[in-house]
Amino acid sequence: MGNLLALIQNETLKVWKKKRFAVIVLILLILIPVFVYAQMKISQNTEKKFQTDWRAELQSRITDNTNALSSERIPEEWKKWRRALVQQLQYYLDHDINPQTPNAVTFTRTFMDNAVSLFIPLMVLAVASDLVSSERSTGTIKMLLTRPVRRWRILFSKLATLTLYVSLIVITTALLCYLISGLVFGYEGWGEPVFVGFQVQGSDVNTTGVHAITQGVYLLMQAGLIWFSALVVSIIALMVSVLLRSTAASFVTMMATIIAGTILSSMASSWTTAKYLFNVNLEVSSYLRGTPPPVEGMTLGFSLAVLAIWGAAALIVSFTVFTKQDIMN
Amino acid sequence: MKRTSGLWQVLGWTTLVCLIVMLTGFAWAIKDTWYPQDGLALPSGEAPSETASGGDWSAKKELYVTAIGDSLTKGTGDPTGGGYVNRVTDGLTKEMGKPVKLVNNLAINGLRADQLIVRLEEKGFVNAIGRADIVLMTIGGNDLFQFAQNGGTLAEGGDLSPELLLKRLPEAEPLLEAVFRKIRGLNPGARIVYVGLYNAFYDLPQMQPASKVVSQWNDYAFGLAKADGNATVVPTYDLFEFGLKKYLSSDHFHPNDLGYARIAERVVQALQ
Repeated sequence: MGNLLALIQNETLKVWKKKRFAVIVLILLILIPVFVYAQMKISQNTEKKFQTDWRAELQSRITDNTNALSSERIPEEWKKWRRALVQQLQYYLDHDINPQTPNAVTFTRTFMDNAVSLFIPLMVLAVASDLVSSERSTGTIKMLLTRPVRRWRILFSKLATLTLYVSLIVITTALLCYLISGLVFGYEGWGEPVFVGFQVQGSDVNTTGVHAITQGVYLLMQAGLIWFSALVVSIIALMVSVLLRSTAASFVTMMATIIAGTILSSMASSWTTAKYLFNVNLEVSSYLRGTPPPVEGMTLGFSLAVLAIWGAAALIVSFTVFTKQDIMN
Repeated sequence: MKRTSGLWQVLGWTTLVCLIVMLTGFAWAIKDTWYPQDGLALPSGEAPSETASGGDWSAKKELYVTAIGDSLTKGTGDPTGGGYVNRVTDGLTKEMGKPVKLVNNLAINGLRADQLIVRLEEKGFVNAIGRADIVLMTIGGNDLFQFAQNGGTLAEGGDLSPELLLKRLPEAEPLLEAVFRKIRGLNPGARIVYVGLYNAFYDLPQMQPASKVVSQWNDYAFGLAKADGNATVVPTYDLFEFGLKKYLSSDHFHPNDLGYARIAERVVQALQ
């Protein structure tokens, strides 16, 4: 056991010293202010138009989306999405709750929702893609494997390190987002109510299970779900990194897969079996929000199960290949 | 070596705490989805925004306008997107020398009077109308001119006939009455401006008699406005009869920007 812990320590420090995490923080520090500035401009604009009357603004969003529904040129799946949105917004208005109170927690929540499908996987890949392959390209894998340590322990320590870093990355993203946007929007908002439990059925939203939680709790649950999807991405990336032996090749492969997933999600409604692909199921936090899933009938349980199965399969492949593989070069 | 193990201490514990937080969040999300509990108690009964006092406009620093109704109020057919509503607020601001602001334009394409009656129960409509000094409205066009499913293009007037319009009239009139009553119930002080209907098919010989039905409808609206006392009907039927090509958009039903500008001009005149 001590042996394993020492291995994890070794791996964790290696990733740290390669400054992977520093790069991620740097990217966040540059990008988040950009989004904060954009959001600030949007808020100023709506304030000019609606004089801080959020009810009028909300009603106008409802009306705009209702009007978009009557256009015949809009594809059916967009209409479905809008119809669900209209019903949700109406629910907020009926209960006199502002769904977009201007504060740092709301900003963080929205940012995380948008980051789940591309941004967070990208950052996770920065660590995951070269965990094994970099050892190969630098040749250090021979040193590692000549030690009197079982191979599966080495891979396991890498997996544990990865899990720790994925957790750190998700939390750092949320935290930096909160700290930076708070400068502009103020640091309140933890106690604001948010509705969860909207169930999308066809083009209708079932509101029987809807209940209010605080935004703080929402953020925690959302981060937990995002963490799971990021973890599965990183595990699959680990497998690709074991198989492809090159950091660049595994990073590009994974990135292409993830991007393909976001494109597929927007057109998967006709190709329903796409729902069994892991990259169509990455947006798990959208179930919390209650937006219609890419394919009808997908639920949180379904997506988590698909992700878990892909993750487990990737682990089996990685461990089998890594323990059997010959190290040649 | 000492420095490295210090780093490991910090890094190890931090990431472990992060992991535990994430696991908690994940478990909580699953629990909340599959075994939801009663949510927060919400602050209820909070009276939404102030209602306009009505009465003397000259005493007010600014006036508020709410627009409701169908595609005409929405501004469909206007390439600039302004419709008559934005032109009216701009025009009034100029004429009155004080800001006239739009609370909201709640018009929905294709809305019929019976649907508007249902919508007038919604919170957003109640709030917006409650705040307004002026309520701009078009409704009824879709009740009368709605096409039956079988046959005919829009430009040919579909399967519409003056007889059909006349048949629909008695069904639609009580709905208009209910709309006026409801708006008045939501805001006792606001000036209601009803923009009248016009015959978009005046250039089709078989549909020219429809103008008579339209004017019958406008008369009815005029009667409602009179009965209300603080409402007015702005006629538009004469604006389009000899300039359909010029003032209607390419869908041959909605006004274009020139047409909306003419409607807006009339509304501003009526409100001065």
